[in-house]
Amino acid sequence: MIQTIRIGRLLRETVTLPYPCLVTRPTGAAVRNRIEAALAHSDCHTAWLDFSDVELLDLSCADEVVAKLLLAEPVTPAPFLVLRGLREEQHEAIEHVLTHHRLAITATLYGAEAPCLLGWASADARATFDALIVRDGATPAELAAALGWPEGRAREALQALVAYRILCSDGVRYRPLRTA
Amino acid sequence: MSRVVEVPAQLDDRTFDQFAAGFGSWPPEEKLLIDARAAQWASPYGLIGMLTAGQALAEAKRDKPLFTVPQSDEVKRYWARAGFFHHAADLFELHGKVPRPPTTGPSDVLLDVTPVRATEDVHEVVGKISEGATRILHGELGLEIKATLRFTMALSEACQNIVEHAGTSGWVAVQAYTFRRRLGRRVVVIAVSDGGVGFRRSLESTHAKRFGERWGDGTALEAALIQGVSRFRDPGRGQGLAFIKRFLDQWKGKISIRSGTARLSIVPPWDEDVPLSEHLPYFPGAQVQIIIPAQESESR
Repeated sequence: MIQTIRIGRLLRETVTLPYPCLVTRPTGAAVRNRIEAALAHSDCHTAWLDFSDVELLDLSCADEVVAKLLLAEPVTPAPFLVLRGLREEQHEAIEHVLTHHRLAITATLYGAEAPCLLGWASADARATFDALIVRDGATPAELAAALGWPEGRAREALQALVAYRILCSDGVRYRPLRTA
Repeated sequence: MSRVVEVPAQLDDRTFDQFAAGFGSWPPEEKLLIDARAAQWASPYGLIGMLTAGQALAEAKRDKPLFTVPQSDEVKRYWARAGFFHHAADLFELHGKVPRPPTTGPSDVLLDVTPVRATEDVHEVVGKISEGATRILHGELGLEIKATLRFTMALSEACQNIVEHAGTSGWVAVQAYTFRRRLGRRVVVIAVSDGGVGFRRSLESTHAKRFGERWGDGTALEAALIQGVSRFRDPGRGQGLAFIKRFLDQWKGKISIRSGTARLSIVPPWDEDVPLSEHLPYFPGAQVQIIIPAQESESR
């Protein structure tokens, strides 16, 4: 099951100004608190954080909302997180802060179907992510065959992405998160 | 005794040191007269710098300074249109006739001189700038439309520095004009100024030790702008200026920050400024200027 959290709506509930601009750290922290409250009551497997009705996201809010959400002690069991509807400059701001913190998340750009890996990840992790998106899941052996890698290397890259909560696994197959 | 501080005929980031020198030791003991009669032009940086002086003097519990307005009607109208006199009336005892700001008509003033006191003001600034920013940045300067949002992000981060670090309120103004002598092109300029603690004092408790005897206004500016340090222990802090710097690299823009007795600039190829100036006349707080030029292929 998937829960959609519309960030623009949370923003409107947080500040009374008419502009859909997610700026300043106090505003970002308030929006993050609302997201955390929503996640705490969620029994969903995945939560989509939908930015499509946010006009502007500054760097401070990218840090307060996204990076700190990923850094926070998660609720148990924590839903997997996906960012959706990101405009290019929002993508850029979030990429900047996640790289700074060595964090990563699955995201889709505004109007795009295909997900991307946003933030800090090794070249192997990125290649693995892309290969899994194409196949909609794979075992380490299948991935290793597809990429021409030893199985150990494929397994290591998959486990790194699981640790970042970018993939889910039933112990045999590894799957990307649903983004559409 | 009173001290006369002359406003340079052209008040901008280059002549600002001359203005700052006029105050002598800070805060000056004497009653001040700020003499702008001969002023011919002031950049946004210059306008909010003068307000910062007035604010810092008020916060230092000094007498309200006298301020003689420019003699030129054209200059007065321009300063009025930028919102300068509206705020100056609270900080100075104005001498001379001040025109009412026009209420309509096209303007190169993207954002009037605006006080930044709290987070809500940053929201207000960001909201107000959006429409005009697209007209100027895309329409006049030839920057791609998405640059408007990056510009607004940079403005937001610059204003937040006041709220987060200055320990007092400050000012922001955004304006487009032609940089004839230095560049020969249109530019848009963001100016942000406060009369607060400045970079050195803001960072001192957390970063001075590792710099030892080198610690000063210049090293504090380098630590903040080049190394991205912050007074907060939160590892997410200190990225705002780095992000602005990255955007400016793309646009061949310039950022310069003056704080205390130093000024640090990231100098683009079109400018001849020095990267670091030290031992300048002291001026309270921090003054930031961001310049984004029209793109060369689109220059007009």
